[in-house]
Amino acid sequence: MTQAVVSSGASELEPTPAYGDHRHATNTGVSNSKLAIWLFLSSEALFFGAFISTYFLYRGRDATFLKGPTPDKLLNIPFTSVTSFVLLMSSLTMVLALAAIQRGDHRRLRIWLLATCLFGATFIGGQLYEFTQFYREGLHLGTNMFGTTFFVLTGLHGAHVTIGIIWLLLVWGRSMQGRLPTEKSEAVEIAGLYWHFVDVVWIFIFTAIYLIPTH
Amino acid sequence: MSDSTDLVTLEEAGTPAAGAIDEIAPAGDHSPVGAVEHSHPGPRQYVLIAIVLVILTAVEVATSYLEGHVNSNLIIVALAIMAAVKFFLVAAWYMHMKQDSAVFRRLFVSGIILASIVYGILLLFFSSTVLKS
Repeated sequence: MTQAVVSSGASELEPTPAYGDHRHATNTGVSNSKLAIWLFLSSEALFFGAFISTYFLYRGRDATFLKGPTPDKLLNIPFTSVTSFVLLMSSLTMVLALAAIQRGDHRRLRIWLLATCLFGATFIGGQLYEFTQFYREGLHLGTNMFGTTFFVLTGLHGAHVTIGIIWLLLVWGRSMQGRLPTEKSEAVEIAGLYWHFVDVVWIFIFTAIYLIPTH
Repeated sequence: MSDSTDLVTLEEAGTPAAGAIDEIAPAGDHSPVGAVEHSHPGPRQYVLIAIVLVILTAVEVATSYLEGHVNSNLIIVALAIMAAVKFFLVAAWYMHMKQDSAVFRRLFVSGIILASIVYGILLLFFSSTVLKS
């Protein structure tokens, strides 16, 4: 039977802590932190949308787009397919880390978090290798519109992945210090939402830059 | 009754007490924003989704090599559909949009729709005027 504390004079009530696992005592009924990260991700959709649109806007239309090294000679689809696969796998390890902390398995949480960081670092390593190769072939930020739109779009995405790696390492550090109990699994969930979003953005960048025919 | 605080049941406290509880914790099924969340899927489902994502990526890459053999517009449509399916799978299962509160889904989808409209107009306008001039 549900009980509440009632003051004898004014019949005031104190809240009973009988919420379900996923319910929160906020005005919206949802976690403020999760609401904030979803709002942020929504704004990030507009942010990346601007750069993807700009890439499409100049792609093959502007005469200066193809002045200098051209995308069809530079882009290494098999190589980028492998790094895309690595980033997709990092989303799997990330969600497995969340599943681990939600069932109280902190050892596996740390393993999956480190695996996610490793996959993320591999992706960044691949991107740096690609940038170096392009630079050696003569494609710089200001060479042509392809260089400008390519480096800005993929560079900004790479910066987001790097921030994600640092974030996950901080979460891993908290767990190592024993400051991440199971009831604070939302910290992993929020970091995971950011990570998955970065993965989702790459799905579109990979298709837009590497897979869609240039001509 | 004394001035001290006493423990009583909700039934004893009557209807106003139940109403007061609702004000304190508005996250029930009757919440105005529909903030109901369900439990997340398990590792087995996550691995299955990953397998589907890998297969789709392989098909995407294979499709891109059809350039020159198949109409380019067909390739672009196929690639766009596969990218959208991959997006849906990650958002729905890994980001738990399927299980979490509808508030998050509405927020995120609003951003995507807004971005699509704004940049769709931008692409239509600039590609037909500025770059052709």
